[in-house]
Amino acid sequence: MHSPYSPLTTHVLNTGMGVPGAHMALSLHRMDPSTSLWNLLTTGTTNDDGRCPGLITRETFTPAVYKMRFETGQYWGSLGETSFYPYVEIVFTITDHSQKFHVPLLCSRFSYTTYRGS
Amino acid sequence: MSSTLPNSPLTTYVLNTGDGVPGARMALSLHRLDSLLVIWNLVTVGTTDEDGRCPGLITTKAFTPGMYKMRFETGQYWESLGQNSFYPYVEIVFTITNPNERFHLPLLLSRFSYSTYRGS
Repeated sequence: MHSPYSPLTTHVLNTGMGVPGAHMALSLHRMDPSTSLWNLLTTGTTNDDGRCPGLITRETFTPAVYKMRFETGQYWGSLGETSFYPYVEIVFTITDHSQKFHVPLLCSRFSYTTYRGS
Repeated sequence: MSSTLPNSPLTTYVLNTGDGVPGARMALSLHRLDSLLVIWNLVTVGTTDEDGRCPGLITTKAFTPGMYKMRFETGQYWESLGQNSFYPYVEIVFTITNPNERFHLPLLLSRFSYSTYRGS
């Protein structure tokens, strides 16, 4: 049985070019509180729309510190460009795992922004 | 004898966009990726001043090409203001190929959002 909606979503936008950040590799990690090590939960690639459905299930989405890593350097490289940031990692705390969390990345070669959406 | 060189080639500026004030007294640290060992070497620790700035991050001599990481203790900062925040800390990883340029790495931050850009 597979819950269709991940409680955690993302959306990558290439603000430098005004297009979705499509085909960008990313990964989701959870910090193990006893070892302070990162456990890899999911790897994925954004679709043509810059989104990556199915990041995590509601059952796995326990309260913890999470990290979303975006392979931005690789992405810009595939477009034949350099970038100031070889990758972007966004670390966030989930206390109420019954809510929905949207962690978008708006990025250009020399800038990025993220916010907590829902 | 310790002298703070007047002009670090790398500067930062923290702005608390949630409250519309400088991000003052925020702890931060600068790290450089070790070229051999794939570990982060701590270069500097500091705290932003009343203006949200932190002069003297690195000397021109120490500012060699490589991969750097600036870590901002944002969770600690919001806690000191009696607030919680979505981000326990912010780490910005960037590549320096030409250390003769000047690099300005600001952090515009609220409890639920942040932005950075490459300035000079």
